[in-house]
Amino acid sequence: MIRIVSTVAGAVTCLVGVILILSTPILGIRVSDNLWAVEPVSYIATGIIIFGLVIITFTYIISGLSRRETPENNSGDDILSTWANLTQQYFELFQHDLGRPLRRILGKEREVRATIDLSNQEVYGDVLELLDEIEGQAPNFRLMMSNVQVLIEMETPAEDLVLEPVEPLEIVRRIVDRYTFAASDGNKEITWWSDPDDFGIVYCGASAIEHIITNVVDNAVRFAGKRIEIKLVREGTEFSIHVWDDGLGIPEEYRNHIFDRGWTPELAKREERTTSGLGMFIAKTLSQRYGGDLSIESLVGDGVKHYTEFTLTLPIREYVS
Amino acid sequence: MQSKTEHILVVDDEWESPIVGAVIRTLEQEGWRTSVIKPQFSTDGGNDFETETLYAIETIRPSGVLLDVRLGEYREDQFKGLEILHKIVERYPHTPVLMFTQYTQGPERDTAVRSSLQLDSSVDFIDKLASPQEVILRLRRLIGRPPTYIVMGDKIILDVDASLVQIKHGDDLETVNDIQGMKFEIFRELASTWYKSPGQLVPFSKLERYSDGEEARASLRVRIREIKISLGNALGVKFGAGDFIINVRDQGYRLVPPKTFDNQ
Repeated sequence: MIRIVSTVAGAVTCLVGVILILSTPILGIRVSDNLWAVEPVSYIATGIIIFGLVIITFTYIISGLSRRETPENNSGDDILSTWANLTQQYFELFQHDLGRPLRRILGKEREVRATIDLSNQEVYGDVLELLDEIEGQAPNFRLMMSNVQVLIEMETPAEDLVLEPVEPLEIVRRIVDRYTFAASDGNKEITWWSDPDDFGIVYCGASAIEHIITNVVDNAVRFAGKRIEIKLVREGTEFSIHVWDDGLGIPEEYRNHIFDRGWTPELAKREERTTSGLGMFIAKTLSQRYGGDLSIESLVGDGVKHYTEFTLTLPIREYVS
Repeated sequence: MQSKTEHILVVDDEWESPIVGAVIRTLEQEGWRTSVIKPQFSTDGGNDFETETLYAIETIRPSGVLLDVRLGEYREDQFKGLEILHKIVERYPHTPVLMFTQYTQGPERDTAVRSSLQLDSSVDFIDKLASPQEVILRLRRLIGRPPTYIVMGDKIILDVDASLVQIKHGDDLETVNDIQGMKFEIFRELASTWYKSPGQLVPFSKLERYSDGEEARASLRVRIREIKISLGNALGVKFGAGDFIINVRDQGYRLVPPKTFDNQ
């Protein structure tokens, strides 16, 4: 309302100035035949027009600034949020489009494998290797897709954490389902248990726990010698999930960087990267977002004693309606 | 032979695709029956699937349903499977449904799940790139019935109803008479856990109730050794400490059936 009144006032002032200029030949005193335009009335009229324009300009500047400060309008967070939503939508489309050919390749691979199994015929080792490679890459692809998805979610403006009832035991069971066959193909075994046996429910983020543990288990299956052990522990106000593997261990200089964004061991050796280096960064960030932490303990190759253990610790929260 | 014939209803617009074909094939190898919804007219988007799925559930009463989230190519079909799920949960709340989807994570999936489910419904989600074995495991747990037979490796059969352990020699079955009573119960406990959740350890606390005497753990250790010896004799192999039934870090035991017993 104030903006309209000031704009009208500015416009009227300008109009008065213009009328005054136009009436200068009638009102003013002619200085000479060619100099009527610069006589005093025209000076006053020009001043009035400039004053009117200043009123209009200030009105618009001030109203523009006050609009930016109002939260319900187009704020910086809004722009970020819209951008994040757009990225999310784009990614889902991309995931669908990329998923289709991948499902076809994977389906065809399983079809060929079934035909080979039924025929009982000798098959070139290279063919079997190719089929194994395709099947083995499926969990990697699934993890890569969900890593990108979580990364997009993490880039969006921070919102309040949504706590939901979660059964960590069920989450671990599913992750083991996913990796048990891949591990078994590489002659590795995953064993898991819970202490107490009946772990119960905690209030946390199911997707976050699933995501953190999937990244850690994926890492363990990749680097284990033969054994991977997962243990859930519920104690006091905290619960923890330990993922242990009997791999060669991670040297201390690498352990300090393992949670850095984009860092991989190959990076330090100037070798070609085999992973994105995002998984552990995402896992650590997510764990801290939920008020917990992800830590690492490792012993590097010393005869038979070498291992790596990641521990996710999270608070057991009470339900708040 | 794994269990009394379960019947799975498969609802997926890509039912002819190799990826769904592989799942159907694995279900049948499991000894389960499958019925696939194949609408005669696919002009009505996902609505044909809805009508035929509800009709099939009413008539064949399947043990479980494998249902695709997206049925059709149009944007409005993106969550058609969830609409069908909502109706199944409403009308047949005890029918387990495994949603076959690419949206296993992300905000759309979360919204979809929250809006579709009742707390006590048996519904789960699995993504389409999961291995067929993963689908089977998830269905076994969703259906929840204890199996009547469990086949381990390619030779050991545990007949739960008859309380028998048998060894397959070609087409013949040999009963392992030494595994009976408490030894059978211990073996059944280990095999049932493996059947539903391979990798999960059975804690001592669960197994020690099948042992007697003051030294329950020692008694359990002896029984486990006897089971391994009896099975080893029947198979003509010798199981070491790290074979078949493994003691894990003083926590409990775990069954690891070899893929084949030929190289033991």
